[in-house]
Amino acid sequence: MMEVLEELIRLPRKGEYMEIRLENIFSTTIRVQNGVVERIRVGTDEGGYIRLLAPRGSWWFESFQRWDDLKDKVEKAIAGASLLPKSNIEVVRRAPVRDEHKVTLPDDFRFKSLEDKTSLLLLYDQVLRETSPFLVSSLVEYRDEFRQIYLANSDGSLIYLEEPDISVSFVATARKEDNIEIYRNGVAGKAGFELVKNQETLAQEIGQRAVLLLEAPSFSGGVYDVILDPVLAGVFIHEAFGHLSESDTLYRNEELKRIMAKGKRVSSSVLNVFDDGSLDNLRGSSPYDDEGIPTGRTYLIKDGHLDGRLHSRETAFLMHEEVTGNARTINYRFPPIVRMTNTAIEAGEASREDLFSDIERGLYAVEYIGGNTALELFTFSAAYGYLIEKGKIKELVKDVVLSGNLFQTLDKIDAVADDFRWTEVGGCGKGGQIGLPTPTGSPHIRLREVLVGGSHND
Amino acid sequence: MIEVASLLKKEGIPGDLFTHRIFSQEVNYEANSFQGYKKEEREGYGLRAINPEGKLGFYAFNRLLNPQEAVEKALEVSQLGDRVDFSIPTYPSTWEWEDFVDPRVENLDAQEMIELGDYILSRIRKECPQALVDVVISAGREEKSLLNHHEEELKFARTFFGVGVSANQTREGDILEVYAERSWGSRDIDVEGLVQEIVSKLEFSQRVADLNSGKYPVVFTPSGSLVLLIALFYGLNGKNWVFGRSPLEDKEGKVIFSSLFSLEEIQEPWALGSCPFDDEGIMTRAQKYLINKGKVESAFWDLWSAAKKGIKPTGNGFRGSYRDLPEPGFSSLRVKNGLRDSSTLIGELEEGLIVDSVLGLGQSNVASGYFSCNVHLGFYVKGGEIQGRVKDVMISGNTYQALFNLKEISRDSRWIGGRILLPYLLVEPIEVNK
Repeated sequence: MMEVLEELIRLPRKGEYMEIRLENIFSTTIRVQNGVVERIRVGTDEGGYIRLLAPRGSWWFESFQRWDDLKDKVEKAIAGASLLPKSNIEVVRRAPVRDEHKVTLPDDFRFKSLEDKTSLLLLYDQVLRETSPFLVSSLVEYRDEFRQIYLANSDGSLIYLEEPDISVSFVATARKEDNIEIYRNGVAGKAGFELVKNQETLAQEIGQRAVLLLEAPSFSGGVYDVILDPVLAGVFIHEAFGHLSESDTLYRNEELKRIMAKGKRVSSSVLNVFDDGSLDNLRGSSPYDDEGIPTGRTYLIKDGHLDGRLHSRETAFLMHEEVTGNARTINYRFPPIVRMTNTAIEAGEASREDLFSDIERGLYAVEYIGGNTALELFTFSAAYGYLIEKGKIKELVKDVVLSGNLFQTLDKIDAVADDFRWTEVGGCGKGGQIGLPTPTGSPHIRLREVLVGGSHND
Repeated sequence: MIEVASLLKKEGIPGDLFTHRIFSQEVNYEANSFQGYKKEEREGYGLRAINPEGKLGFYAFNRLLNPQEAVEKALEVSQLGDRVDFSIPTYPSTWEWEDFVDPRVENLDAQEMIELGDYILSRIRKECPQALVDVVISAGREEKSLLNHHEEELKFARTFFGVGVSANQTREGDILEVYAERSWGSRDIDVEGLVQEIVSKLEFSQRVADLNSGKYPVVFTPSGSLVLLIALFYGLNGKNWVFGRSPLEDKEGKVIFSSLFSLEEIQEPWALGSCPFDDEGIMTRAQKYLINKGKVESAFWDLWSAAKKGIKPTGNGFRGSYRDLPEPGFSSLRVKNGLRDSSTLIGELEEGLIVDSVLGLGQSNVASGYFSCNVHLGFYVKGGEIQGRVKDVMISGNTYQALFNLKEISRDSRWIGGRILLPYLLVEPIEVNK
């Protein structure tokens, strides 16, 4: 395949920038619900795209499935792109890269039988259901995926990548009459079958958590001092600052560029935030991004000051900044756009206990259901929480949704603990590209005066 | 692919092959300038087969396999599959429906899409020169077909056309973003209405209004009404009834919502989602009540869930893509409209809120009906007049409670995503925090 691609990338001769991606995805999904193997899906998905930019032109993108007629497709793309309107779009060019990354997995899921995978799920499902009579429904879903990706571009780069991804997720539904609570969690990683084995304890905890939530009261809305656990703090920074650091949101917006100027103080000085796609083996990691640029670490915030932002070839060119290796696509159906990889709040020096000690009445928000952002406004919902009274963790509460505003909330982070950890479960959606793995990391953090939704218990 | 069906027939294996083909084109503009053109062509196959023990297997693929291989893979999977209580449907031999293909959409070329994009951009820029405008125009054709082990075939094609516009206005300490869209099966979408919607949203947003926390009457616009419907879609999902996860499963035939509230599934030819049969070959009904005058009438049933419950499927088995097995879902929906215009409803508001879009949709406990969202675009109303946009405000409540507390529904409705026809809903009270 490399020889074919080598020839194709030489076809544009008028200074065009061209990318070709060919991709093969082998996947297995198994879902067990209430003791029944409800579905097993085995499949292959093969396809590719050609993306082309003529000098002073605009983007031509074509996604296809069959790998034949590639030469014809490239020629049509060259012709098609020449008819598109003019623009000031240009991309950063780089020296060619030739590389091949093959993966060896400790316990390769491709060689596991469907029977092995299914029986493990049936076991987890049983463990989950047996935790309580109030569990009306259990769902255990297994997914593995192995991708082979060829990237070729006009720099003369030819890259072959292999990307494994495996996960198992548990959903427990507990019920007492019309009071229904759902709690979900799981594990995910760039790993082999070993990752999903021996998760009985997790299955049990998930069942118990759903049942506990049945009795928990809804948290009453208002403005509170809040401590976020490492999982929710990761979601928070992803929504609160990560998306605004994606340069395609601001590269054509002069006013927003002024607001997001480098060196500007954007938060209290305890905050340090980075994005790093080169970390070993996290789900957001890869040696190259989908434009063939090597990944690396970019500090978004250093000691409370805006330090950098995330780029594709296009946004880096227009903003006269360095490329950062953040152009990513979910698959061959979509062009790469600026995305986070693994994003994190760096560990601070406080102990976890220090954070709680001076809160008179507040909220400890734990894990997440989701998060959402629209430039300055964002929300993030916790899976559950606890009331904090006089520095102590008190009763369990549910229905905890927090809101924030770019211009105020970051400044209210006044303490960062030293207990950093990564969360790999979950994915991010942007521009119709949903489910991109974007792990987040953080220690416990404390925020003052956060708006929390909910009814007043009066 | 008829060979797969022939092979199933020959081997005496009940099964069906679902085929999904899509051709789509898109042009997009970012911050007032043309960005690019995209096109995509794809097709895929999902093969279900029930083995002699009655167990279901499934195999999805998008490259041409030999029929033998596809059937073997599905049968291999079936050995571990669930013993199912349904059989693969037979299809009617007479065709009483037609395709909904608009040649003006099917034969659209990039130049025409660019002309329309330029026009929309210039219209909005003229009225609101300070805004940065993004436009996405998409058009295409999709085709679904089913082939079963009797070698019977069902086929349906439709075109789709959509325009989405967002306008951004950034100032120090304030970033405003408004959005509007129109989608339809034919070329006949209301471009002028779309432009007007963006312009008036920008105009009403220029001032930021302050309000205190408390309980207020809220008018949900057609797009804002989704806040109240998300939990209901979960509650009406037949699979959730089977698994005991829906608060509606023991409410069939009971009045639990305001008598003003009726939700029905309809087959409006050019509405996206409307179809003569669902993704497993069950005929859809021209009209069906889910909620009638506050009473729970029916739910969404696919073959699998209906068989578990021991009832007939309702033509509500839909697949996310060829790679997915059917799940309970819907074609096109309509919330029955009321008697008076939304402008009258708003004009009569002493003090309240208009909610047009939120952040955090579906990100709280949808099973119990709880919602808690940040108001992304909303307006504060006093003395019947819009005072300005609200910011950093949350609304919360319970869907089931809110639809019981429904005070009025507007006469005017709008299609959301070309698929759900929604009026304005006035609910009182809704908890507002800031």
